[in-house]
Amino acid sequence: MVSRERTQELLRGLQDAVVAYDEERVAELSKAALEESVDAYEAVMSGLAAGMEKVGELYVKQEYFVPELLLCSDALYAGLDILRPQIKVDKEMAPVKRQIVIGTVEGDIHDIGKNLVKVMFEAAGWIVHDLGSDVKLERFVEEQLRTNSDIVGLSALMTTSMLAMQKVIPMIRAQDLNVAIMVGGAPLTRDTAKLYGADGYADNAGDAVRQAVKMLDRKREGQAT
Amino acid sequence: MEPRKTRREEEGASVGRLSALLAGQRPDRVPLYLYGFGFCTRMAGYPISRIYDDVEKSFWAQTWTKEMYDSEDLIRIPFITHGTAEFGGEIKMPSSEWSQAPSIRSYPVQSEEDVAKLELPDVRTAGLLPMLMEFSKLQDNLGSPIIPCTVGGSVSRAANLCGVDKLCRWMIRKPELVHKLVRLITDHFLDMIRYWVDTFGPERVILFGGCATESNQVISPKQFKEFAFPYLKEMGEKALALGIKHIFYHICGEQNLNLPYWAQIPMGDPGIASFGHEIDLTTAIEYLGDTCIIAGNVEPAVIQTGTPQQVYELAKQCIEKGKYAPRGFMLMSGCELPPMAPPYNVYVMKKAVEDFGWYD
Repeated sequence: MVSRERTQELLRGLQDAVVAYDEERVAELSKAALEESVDAYEAVMSGLAAGMEKVGELYVKQEYFVPELLLCSDALYAGLDILRPQIKVDKEMAPVKRQIVIGTVEGDIHDIGKNLVKVMFEAAGWIVHDLGSDVKLERFVEEQLRTNSDIVGLSALMTTSMLAMQKVIPMIRAQDLNVAIMVGGAPLTRDTAKLYGADGYADNAGDAVRQAVKMLDRKREGQAT
Repeated sequence: MEPRKTRREEEGASVGRLSALLAGQRPDRVPLYLYGFGFCTRMAGYPISRIYDDVEKSFWAQTWTKEMYDSEDLIRIPFITHGTAEFGGEIKMPSSEWSQAPSIRSYPVQSEEDVAKLELPDVRTAGLLPMLMEFSKLQDNLGSPIIPCTVGGSVSRAANLCGVDKLCRWMIRKPELVHKLVRLITDHFLDMIRYWVDTFGPERVILFGGCATESNQVISPKQFKEFAFPYLKEMGEKALALGIKHIFYHICGEQNLNLPYWAQIPMGDPGIASFGHEIDLTTAIEYLGDTCIIAGNVEPAVIQTGTPQQVYELAKQCIEKGKYAPRGFMLMSGCELPPMAPPYNVYVMKKAVEDFGWYD
């Protein structure tokens, strides 16, 4: 049985290697964690995901930019590829994972922001159903009906494509009243999100998961009252 | 059909407010610069794609809209995919109800090896350049005193060769490849500039470049300094040496951390620098006001979704901040005027310059 100190050392190492976008080191430490019987789920959540959370903070503080974020996400996936297959799934005991359907709306091919948001959700342990970019509006409705996700996330970079959000939000709600809808992208603001009937908005990828959790809490409180 | 002259033009009050600013004179009032393209097709009753694929309709849609709003826009074909088709990739014209501009279907660079295979294209025949030249010749035939030549930010257009994500990764992992791509794009722009100067003469050609990928929402000031600044500086120096008088850059998005570098990029006497709403106009004037006409920066999303009162208030604030910039100021949308903006919201920008923009 690996000692608590050694476990902590490996977890810190994973965090630091993700922040340093050191793919090789992440892979090496992920293998070491498995060899030394560190729980794979803990290695993902307290190592890789915690590192990615720091990356998000660095982005918000303008210490990291998109190039660093992309390389950190590469490092994250290098670890996930090794650790994820080893996570023990006890269906009765395992916490129910939150899910999000995500995509860039029809008419818009810009997907860097959406991909970074996807990374942050995956790092935080969510199941992400990524529809890609230039997604027909009906696809969001279909995918939500198929997956019964907690959130539908809509992204747009253009002022024309952001108008598609105004159309698709009622389409999604008509099929699923309870789902939370979150929007983001350069031309969007909190006010626009509200105007379009979205439940949440994130200004940037680094803040997206935090805003999503807050949004779900608000929605739950609203339903309880 | 020739556009009707405005009352002020008939009175000789304004031969063109932008022309006055370029000549170092204060115009009668703050000029309005819409920065609209898709919006113009709506005004003219055309699909958005006509701005990008039909020389005549593009020209007249912009000319008529300029007349409607008494604006000072440089009439030109915007070219955000510049580089892709010219170097062998594929683009797609906007066709969906929600599309705003052409998009990229395939990049000329798919792998590291492809970078070495790239060659400078012939600017007379490559991609969309023949159409751009046809557009400029139409302006020339109609006697336009200004012939815009649309280039772009070196990093923004290098991203059109390989994709933003690849370019970003290479900035850290393979910086030599990024330098190679930006070098190629800069040389391509210089070929293009020489072609336009040879055809129309340097006095009439104004360069326009949009710089979005250079924003700090994408790259760091350090990356800007390494991959954008030296090439933009070189292009400015070489263009001015060819006799070009003015260079217009749209400094798109959040670029506060890049401003010290922008202040060192030659843009002519004066240059023109427009800004996204993320940059305070007072800050913009501090950095570039002594050398450039400053333009900006009503938030596009507000123009599209806000009330006329909100747009009017933002426009008023911009005018108050910019009106007395040393080399002049133009009220402008902070990025492309949203094609679907309510025309009345655009009208209140004109109303704001009429109400607050007059000089004593």
